[in-house]
Amino acid sequence: MGRSKRRPIRLLWLKPARRQRREERTKPAHWSDSALPLSRALDYRDAAMNACHNPPGSSRTVGLRRRSWPLLLVAGLIALPSSADAARVKGRFEGFRALQNPVWAEAKDPKNHGYSFREPVPTVRAEFRRPFPHIPKELCIAAIAAGPQKAQPPVLIRVGGGRTTPVTLVVTPGTRLTFQNTDPFKHKLFGVGIKTFAPGDTGPGATRDWSVPGPGVFEIRDEAAPSLRMWIVSEPNLAQAAYPSMKGEFSLNVQEPGDYVLQAYFAGKKVGPATPVTVAAADVELKVPVKVNDNSAAADDKAKASDSATEPKEGAK
Amino acid sequence: MVLSRFWYVLLGLVLGLSVFLLSIATSMYNRAGARAMGEALSSDSQVVAWYLRDDARQRSGRLIQFGVDPDIAKYLQKSSDSEAKVPEEAREKLLAALKKVNNSIPKDEQFDAVFAVDQAGRVVAHLGYEQASGLSDFELGGYPVVADALRGYVRDDTLILDRIYRVVARPVEFDMGALPAGAIIGARIVDDRFARELSSRTGAAIAFYANGDRASSGAPEGFAVGNLDQIVGDMASLEQDPEYKEKGRSKVRTIGGMLGVQYSRLPGEAWQLGGGFAVARLPVAVDGLFGFFKTADDKDKQQANLPIAILVAVIAAAIGMVFSVLEHTRPIAIFKNEAQRLAKGETDQLQPSRFRGVFRKIASDLNDGMDQVLAKGGGPRRGPADMKQVLGNIPDQPQMSAFSFPGDPASMPTPSSGQAPRSVPNAPANPKLPRPPVRPGTPAAGLDSTMSSEDSSAARRLPSPPTRGGADQSAAAELAEWHAVFQDFVSLKQQCGESTDGFSYEKFELTLKKKNEELLTRHGAKRVKFSVYVKEGKAALKASPIMD
Repeated sequence: MGRSKRRPIRLLWLKPARRQRREERTKPAHWSDSALPLSRALDYRDAAMNACHNPPGSSRTVGLRRRSWPLLLVAGLIALPSSADAARVKGRFEGFRALQNPVWAEAKDPKNHGYSFREPVPTVRAEFRRPFPHIPKELCIAAIAAGPQKAQPPVLIRVGGGRTTPVTLVVTPGTRLTFQNTDPFKHKLFGVGIKTFAPGDTGPGATRDWSVPGPGVFEIRDEAAPSLRMWIVSEPNLAQAAYPSMKGEFSLNVQEPGDYVLQAYFAGKKVGPATPVTVAAADVELKVPVKVNDNSAAADDKAKASDSATEPKEGAK
Repeated sequence: MVLSRFWYVLLGLVLGLSVFLLSIATSMYNRAGARAMGEALSSDSQVVAWYLRDDARQRSGRLIQFGVDPDIAKYLQKSSDSEAKVPEEAREKLLAALKKVNNSIPKDEQFDAVFAVDQAGRVVAHLGYEQASGLSDFELGGYPVVADALRGYVRDDTLILDRIYRVVARPVEFDMGALPAGAIIGARIVDDRFARELSSRTGAAIAFYANGDRASSGAPEGFAVGNLDQIVGDMASLEQDPEYKEKGRSKVRTIGGMLGVQYSRLPGEAWQLGGGFAVARLPVAVDGLFGFFKTADDKDKQQANLPIAILVAVIAAAIGMVFSVLEHTRPIAIFKNEAQRLAKGETDQLQPSRFRGVFRKIASDLNDGMDQVLAKGGGPRRGPADMKQVLGNIPDQPQMSAFSFPGDPASMPTPSSGQAPRSVPNAPANPKLPRPPVRPGTPAAGLDSTMSSEDSSAARRLPSPPTRGGADQSAAAELAEWHAVFQDFVSLKQQCGESTDGFSYEKFELTLKKKNEELLTRHGAKRVKFSVYVKEGKAALKASPIMD
């Protein structure tokens, strides 16, 4: 996937002061007050973040669209110097269909009473009938530097559709996260075992901030939606993180030349091997695909066997 | 009275037995009602669960109509191919296709909301879910039911979003060799309409609940839906029910002592969120011995054997009446007749042989009593010996008991006039009083000079005392004296304003004779002298024994 296919990032912190004041007067109360610039180290592809959720056709969106070209031009000019020395590390994931979304894998177990009937459609090929993840949101590739990196700017996370976007996030400690509810009903997010992230209501369109306290893996859940589970990996040496396309292709925009290690994360865990890469001025293209599941073949067989064993029983609860 | 008493005891035993049997019957009836209610609730719960599953299956079949629509498959694939953004054309075409297919479905089988989701989980178009109108990045891809549909499964789920939704999903295929182009999701809102429809088809009173509150409810006719509100207070302790926790179905619980409820979890995500449904019934029970009357309907009353009940009551009453007549009314009537005969003098005594039971003893005792009284010379109440009848209105203090003996002034009654008792024919001291009648054979000159001619004539009009020929001289003198006393007494009574009607000399003489004999015998006197005097405004007779 080329750069032209990427969703344009809105650099909202570049808004003129007068325009910003007008928007503050007119914006709904549930909008976040925090400026939500997208981290340049992150590329969520179709999950690219907006500062605030805006229904299409709203005055704010229309206004931005009408006048966005000069703004974006200025933003591009500003952004160019910082990315002038950046180099792209391109690669491709392999075996990601052997991964299993833990939520969906649990849900298909009849013991969990997730359905009263669940039957395969015969016309869909068996290789597709397993809970492989939606990798543009769930599989994260991170470039880990040799030493600690500076804290990233705030990151916006969309909460809606029974999951968060992204599902797995790799950030540096101290990064402020803003959870925005994009559903027309409330959510009640909480951090599992995190005292600073107690259950709290987040109404439609509203946001909730939380800063990653330190290194480690943190899990976020929703009391109102059991399927919603998110993992935040806090890595001090994180230089850049990105998400692949549906086909598994990814592109990391590394700012500083140097030696890095590419590591994939899925559901809060490392998957696949750590791939060393040296970034210089030129783009780097990985010759070997990153296998996120070394024993993918065995997993495939196991998954097939599991599916074929459970399928006849799933319909009969 | 033995039979009557036996009958009363028997009736008491039967009544007690009836109460006892009614209590047992009430308890058995209520227990059977509770058991039947429990079974009915379990049945209701299963029927509702089956209905929900069957309804989901049937509706998932309706989703095929969406899946085979060429526009839906085509534009879902187009949206899935566009990883960055959903094409506007796809949105418009899909919305039109959704409307077209949805309108071709019978109204009672239509979904409340339909979503067309592409492979990325984004909602490309939707119908009936106005809350999401205008949300360009609205998606459903995280829900397991949608993820499964996007990966080739047809299944159901129960989601609790802004309210409870019963959801079915199936894949939409465009290229058979590739991943499904997307999925079509159909949802039914579990609202009061859904609950009422479910209730009408299953016959159960049902309430859906989520987040610790009642979400919707429906009940058949005759069951107040308001009763279902009681489950809210009961749900707090529901999680402590191990069966509910493990199997998803609680035991039959009784709320408020009346309402029987069984809770069941809803399948799907709602299971984990504590969503479920409760079926409820009111027990068929009676609240007391007479509760059957309230509970019984016309059909029950028609089936009751009323003639036999009436017959038993009539027979029991008749037996009681017969016993009562035999042992109470009839003996009393016989006794009454015999007593009346005795009173009329038709018989001298009661005949015990004519009576039975206690009346025989009473008659015998009465006869004995009468004999005792007669042996004593008769009592004051025994007919002819009654001084009151003889002497008319006499004071309570019997004058005949007031004896005076010569030389005993303390025993002398004090005349009301203050004068000493006078011998016949002394006139009363009060000149206003009428004079006593003139004694027959006595010259008028012997009368008190103060007696008026009228008094004298009145005395002469009195009947003459009978004369006895051949009696000795003293007896004749005594009789003459008694005549005089009689006339004096009558005269004095008239002077005192007392009635003399029916006052005859014969009765007077009989009384004097009796008293004369009694006093002669008692005191051994030679003779008894009778005199009249006024005592407390009334004529009184005084008997004085003469000893020499």
